[in-house]
Amino acid sequence: MATLNINGQTMDIGEIDPSTPLLWVLRDELGLVGTKYGCGIAQCGACTVHMNGAPVRSCQIPVGNLTDQQITTIEGLAAADGTLTPVQEAWVELDVPQCGYCQAGQIMSATALLNNNQNPSDADIDAAMSGNICRCATYSRIRQAIKDAAAKMNGTAFYDAAQTGEIA
Amino acid sequence: MKLITDNLSPELPGFFQDLTSTPKLEIPELSRRQFFKVSGITGGGLVIGLALGTGSNKAKAQSAAADATSTLSPYVQIQPNGRINIFSKNPECGQGIKTGLPLIIADELDCAWEDVDVVQADIDASKYGAQFAGGSLSTPMNWMAMRQAGATGRAMILAAAAQQLNIPLTELSTSNTKVVHATSGREWGYGEFAELAATMPVPDAASLTLKTKDQFTLMGKRFTGVDNHDIVTGKPLFGADTRLDGMLFASYTKCPQIGGRALSFNESHIKSLRGVVDAFILDEFGNPKMFNPGGGDMFSGVAIVAESTWAALKAKRELEIEWDLSNAEVSSWSEIVERAYAMKDEDGEPLMTTSRGPNGPTTVPASKGDAEAVLQNAATVVSGFYEYPYVSHAQLEPETCTALYQNGNVEIWAPAQIPQSGESGSAVLLGIPAEEAAQRVVLHQTRIGGGFGRKLANDYVFEVVAIARRMEGRPVLLQWTREDDMGGDYFRPGGFHSYTAGLDSVGNLTAWQDHFFTSTGNDTAPMTSADLNPNVFPKDVIDNVKLSQTMFHNAIPTGPMRAPASNAFAFSFQGFMHELAIASGKSHVDFLLDTLGDPRLANPENPQSMHTGRAANVISEVARISGYEQGASEPGRAKGLSFYFCHSGYVAQVADVSVNANKEVKIHKVWAVGDFGFIHNLSGAENQMEGGIIDGISQLFNAKITFENGIIQQQNFHQYPLLRMPQAPELEVSFLEPEEFSPTGGGEPSMPPVLAAVTNAIYNATGDRIRKMPLFELGYKLV
Ligand code: FES
Ligand code: FES
Repeated sequence: MATLNINGQTMDIGEIDPSTPLLWVLRDELGLVGTKYGCGIAQCGACTVHMNGAPVRSCQIPVGNLTDQQITTIEGLAAADGTLTPVQEAWVELDVPQCGYCQAGQIMSATALLNNNQNPSDADIDAAMSGNICRCATYSRIRQAIKDAAAKMNGTAFYDAAQTGEIA
Repeated sequence: MKLITDNLSPELPGFFQDLTSTPKLEIPELSRRQFFKVSGITGGGLVIGLALGTGSNKAKAQSAAADATSTLSPYVQIQPNGRINIFSKNPECGQGIKTGLPLIIADELDCAWEDVDVVQADIDASKYGAQFAGGSLSTPMNWMAMRQAGATGRAMILAAAAQQLNIPLTELSTSNTKVVHATSGREWGYGEFAELAATMPVPDAASLTLKTKDQFTLMGKRFTGVDNHDIVTGKPLFGADTRLDGMLFASYTKCPQIGGRALSFNESHIKSLRGVVDAFILDEFGNPKMFNPGGGDMFSGVAIVAESTWAALKAKRELEIEWDLSNAEVSSWSEIVERAYAMKDEDGEPLMTTSRGPNGPTTVPASKGDAEAVLQNAATVVSGFYEYPYVSHAQLEPETCTALYQNGNVEIWAPAQIPQSGESGSAVLLGIPAEEAAQRVVLHQTRIGGGFGRKLANDYVFEVVAIARRMEGRPVLLQWTREDDMGGDYFRPGGFHSYTAGLDSVGNLTAWQDHFFTSTGNDTAPMTSADLNPNVFPKDVIDNVKLSQTMFHNAIPTGPMRAPASNAFAFSFQGFMHELAIASGKSHVDFLLDTLGDPRLANPENPQSMHTGRAANVISEVARISGYEQGASEPGRAKGLSFYFCHSGYVAQVADVSVNANKEVKIHKVWAVGDFGFIHNLSGAENQMEGGIIDGISQLFNAKITFENGIIQQQNFHQYPLLRMPQAPELEVSFLEPEEFSPTGGGEPSMPPVLAAVTNAIYNATGDRIRKMPLFELGYKLV
């Protein structure tokens, strides 16, 4: 019986067709439906998860190829007590989501960027985020939220309510 | 209610007119007993309710809240702990309505927003009237009803407090979810009066005192989406996140040549594949080439039902299907383009309009004045032929829906923009009499992973209902692939405008002629969203207008997409207006303002027509804040301006653009000024404007669907690229909020102007006049 290491836990996936992409294992076998299907051909980034900390497109990874890798999904970001990461917090506070369908993938890509680079330039953001489509076109807020999260991680004030008006 | 209907826009497609003309806009007067009964809801609802309700403070699903004690109206419940449940009636597809409508109620209810839990209402016309997401109508149609719902709750709480405390009503007031007795300085939470309040008579609307604008405590500020927390933590919110015991997963494969019918397939092979539970052919129902959200219409195809999504999708790849092509489409876009260009200097059939006279409606030509004669004598005549393609909605969530069919009844979990039509159409498909539909078809709305008009059609709902009927007793989730989506859309139709206009000796616009080329499936009327509104700009503001039309037979399915018609017309109208401005010798802004003329309702007989003063104000303001002037600011760099009025909203935009020798275009910044009346959630309005601008730029450069012999040629994002992060410009968005106008919707009017703002900027920078979308076909590349 196959197991996977997902969000720090060993999970049993039973007897499964080894060609099944990780995306569908997460969604259908493990009930982790936060990771989304958008294209199935590595074009949209909606299915982005972390493999050993690096962002990958889970629609492209047959589960049979996975062995000891550590997988993190959107469900595994927040602390056990529910505390959000700075990236998640910035996303909520800046009201980034419109439909929200792409945002799990966006957040996984942004988190991977900030884990390696806590002071990303606009060019760094462009490079790290260009694999993630947002059809609702929330790009300017995503860019700002990444900067806000970076500032948060650096311990500086990330958001100035007085500057943009009141946020409830 | 006058305020509400006044905001309905004249260019609504017929099905929105139907929805908006139902008398159900009023809050249905239900007895309290009925409220309790209906809030009990079904067992199936509870399943998704619990799934959706986890982890969120702000948003719940309706059924999870069914144990709340005190229901004041279909919109307001008070929980035992004093927190307030506010029900959001309409589908949420990213337009922010799940936050926006409850916010209106909460303000009139005089709640602190922190005390509110938003609950997604189930579909129930008897409680909520029309429930749909389209036409930028959710806010204007519900503005007054939501205010009344809040004020009703507040009045019932106050009445209960007066009785329970034995204090005269006139001495009590409310503030921040509390009843306040100013003379004694005492205050009580709403929860203390909840039980009694729920027994109070429901006051009639006329007796309610609504807040004045300066009394709003919530509206007018920025509020973040109520589902944000669940979205960033990956909670199950969307259609495909539905999970039910014993659930099966299905794929559905239709004919690539649209309208072909499945005759046979390699059934035994497919059924032998790992994880496949069943596979079968479904017949066509109705006339699915025509957009019809409530008819049960669906194409024929092969359903594969499996134990997992992957098993269903993997088996789909091995399908070999024999098709009957006798009713399949044979049209080709390349051929239509050729025919349109060949006819560009000819006249079309006169465009007709319906006018309502004392003896009922009559159909008359839409033209007015004598454009031909005025053109003969014009000082300057300008012509331009404009082309735009078919476009796919490409919402990021491919179509998906879940259904459970049992004992002749069906329960549906759908991300749908007109879920009520999903219910009524499912009844038609299943042969359930209309009068039994409300009992036998139950639909739960999930969050929609992007709509843009695609999920106004309910074809994917009907498909899974038909599949579930074959799998009686087992819930089935249907998952379309991106290829299914792109090849099977109700597309934004392509079209052409052949313009000729005349200017007098001082450069004023005196005559306008438009020969419009479009497609028809029935040879009598254009396809859905493929019609030219006879009252469209600038007909109301100039005296001599000639409108004609040529229709090509072509039934490739079409439907509304964000700002239907306007999303393409704005490109050609406002590009041509810029051509005219240059020919007139006036500045672009002066030419637009002179054409608009004095501030007035452009058509005094139509309260929904453009107000020229509001139009002029957004144009002047965007020109001011952007420093717009026609002409290059440096070699290869210039700004362009455009304006559009649709869905009752006024938007002007300026784009600052550089073009290099390789036709690489960098959009540095876009300024937008909107007038959607009063804005009750600034964050939501800004989001719509920001998204609309980038949506427009994305389409302008790269969006094109083509078909050859009825087969769509694009399948996935590698052939239909969407704008990505590096190409997204800086945005500056602001709003004029004229005091006297109630809110209209921002989802649609935010998008159209940018198309011509960018092409006009490219002209100002390079002298190249662009009359064709998308720009990649002209060698331009967005960088
Ligand atoms: S679903 Fe994997 S990249 Fe689109
Ligand atoms: S928020 Fe809708 S696709 Fe990004």
